[in-house]
Amino acid sequence: MQQAKVPPLGKRAAENRLLLGLLLAPAAIFLFVFLVVPMFGLFRASFYEGNQPLGGVGFSLQHYEKFLLDGYYLSVLAETIGFGLASAFVSLVIGFPVGYSLARLPPEKRRWRLIAVILPLTLSLVVVVFGWLVVLGRNGLLNSLLIGFGLIDRPHQLLFNRTAVLVVLVQQFLPFMILSVMSVVAQINPVLEQAAANLRANRFTTFRRVVLPLAMPGILSGLTLVFILTASAFITPRLIGGPRIQMIGSLIYQQVLTILNWPFAAAMAFILLIITLAVTWVANATLAVRLDSEKSGHAN
Amino acid sequence: MRIDAIDVGLKIAGAIVRPLVYLTLCLPAAIVVVTSFTAGESLRFPPEGFSLRWYQAAINSEPFMDSLWASTKLAFIATILSLAIGLASSFAIDRFRFRGREAFRTLTLSPLVVPMVVLGLGLLQFLSWMQLNQTFAGLLIGHVLITLPYVVRTLTASLVLFDRTLEQAAMNLRAPPWRILWRITLPLIGPALVSASVFAFVTSFGNITLSIFLGFAGETTLPVQIFTYVEHSYDPILAAVSTIVILVTLIVIAIVEKLVGMETVA
Repeated sequence: MQQAKVPPLGKRAAENRLLLGLLLAPAAIFLFVFLVVPMFGLFRASFYEGNQPLGGVGFSLQHYEKFLLDGYYLSVLAETIGFGLASAFVSLVIGFPVGYSLARLPPEKRRWRLIAVILPLTLSLVVVVFGWLVVLGRNGLLNSLLIGFGLIDRPHQLLFNRTAVLVVLVQQFLPFMILSVMSVVAQINPVLEQAAANLRANRFTTFRRVVLPLAMPGILSGLTLVFILTASAFITPRLIGGPRIQMIGSLIYQQVLTILNWPFAAAMAFILLIITLAVTWVANATLAVRLDSEKSGHAN
Repeated sequence: MRIDAIDVGLKIAGAIVRPLVYLTLCLPAAIVVVTSFTAGESLRFPPEGFSLRWYQAAINSEPFMDSLWASTKLAFIATILSLAIGLASSFAIDRFRFRGREAFRTLTLSPLVVPMVVLGLGLLQFLSWMQLNQTFAGLLIGHVLITLPYVVRTLTASLVLFDRTLEQAAMNLRAPPWRILWRITLPLIGPALVSASVFAFVTSFGNITLSIFLGFAGETTLPVQIFTYVEHSYDPILAAVSTIVILVTLIVIAIVEKLVGMETVA
C-alpha cells in the first residue's frame, strides 16, 4: 500500500528541486538586488571623479587620497577606532559579571533582569539618546543630584564631551555583550567550577583558568559586535557629542545629506566597512588559534 | 571552604556593578517617562508638577501623529514580508542539503554585519538610480533588509530543535502536505514565529539610522521625526512622544513574555 503511493524516485527528486528553488528564490533575489548590487554600486561610486551626489563618471582614487592623506580625517578615523575599542572593553568589564550571573540565575529570578537587558535593545536609539539628554542636560537629573548633594553650586555642562559620548555608547551596546556572555556561560557546566574550587583554586583562578577560556567565543563575539556598532554610530556622537566630537559615521551622514558629496561618502563607507571586516577577521582568527592550540595541547 | 581576599573582593565588586548596570540600562527610558508628565514649559528634572498637557500637545501635533502612523504601517508590512521571505529561507536551510547552503545562510544574516550607515548609503544610491528614493517602497525595502536576519536566525534555531518524527507520523497517517504544515509544523514553531515577528516589528519601528537615509519629507518615520525635532528644539512634547514609543515597545515585549517567555529571544 505504502509503496504504491510513493512516486518514482526521479520525479520526486525533481519535485524537491522545484520546491527548494521556490523556497530560496524570494530571499536570494531580494538580497541580490537590494544588498549585493547596492554594495557593488557603492564600491564603484567611491572611485567616481568629482563631488556630485549622482551621475558620477570616470575612475580616480581622489576620495581615498583625500581621506587618507588629510590630518583631520585621519584624526576622525583614530577617534572612531578609539571609541570602538574603549566601548568594547568597558562593555566587557562591566558586562561580563552581569552576563555570567544571568546565566547562573534560576529562571524566575532571571526574568526581570533579562527584560531590563533587552528593553534598551528593542527601544529606538533616538529615544534612548533623548533620555540621556534629559539625564545629562543643564537642568537634568545628574546636575540636580550633584547640586542636591552640595557637590557643585551651579549646573555644569555635562554634555558635548568624550566621556558623555562613551557612557551613552556603552549603555546602548552593553546588552549585546551581556547576552553573548550569557549564552556561552550557560553552556559551561558548573561542575567544572566546583571541581576547580575543590582543587583549592580561588574565584579569580577559576575564572582565569576555567571560565575565561571556555567563554572566549562569546567574549570575542561580544567585543566584535560592540566595536562594530560603536564605530558606525552617528546619532550619538551628533546629539551627545556635539560639533566638536566627530566620528566617521557622522562625517558620512554630513557628506550624504548636507554636503551632497556622495563619492567621498562612499569612500569613507568602504573604509569603515574594511575596518569592521578586519576586526571580525582578527576575532575569528584569534578564536581559531586558541582552538588549535587547545587541540594540540590535548594531543601532547 | 577557606576565605580568600580575592574571593571577597570579586563578590563585592559584582554586587556593586550588577545593580548599577541594570539601573543604567533602564535609566534613560525611565527619565523620559517621568519628565513627560511635567506641567512646566521646559524639560527639567525633577519635573515641575503633574499634567497631561504635553500628551495633548503630542496627540494634536500632526507631524508626530502622521509619523507614528507611518512607522506603525511600515513596521507592520515589513514584518509580514520579512516573515514570509524568512520562513521560506529557513525551511530551505533546515530541510535541504544543497550546494551553497552555508553561503546562502551567511547572505541572509549579512545585513547584521554591514554597518547600518554603509547599508543606508548603498541603498540610497541604488534606490536613486531606480528612481525609488524617497518613496514608501524604498523605505520598506530597507526595513525588510534589516529585519530579515532576525527572522532567519530565530526560525532556523527553532527548526533545528524540531522533532521531525511528528511530521513523519502525520505522513504515515496520509495527511496531505499542506495539512501537515498547517496542523503540525507551524503550531510547533509558533513560539519562534511570535518572537521573530515581534523582533522584526520593534527593529523596524525603532530604526533611525537607515530611515534617516531613506526617509523623505512627505512621510517620515517617528524616530526620524524625533531626531529632526531634537536637533533644533527641545521641549517636553518630545518626552511625551518618546513615552508613546516606549509604551509600544513595552507592550510588544509583554506580548512575547506572555506568549513564549523572554528566554527564547535572548
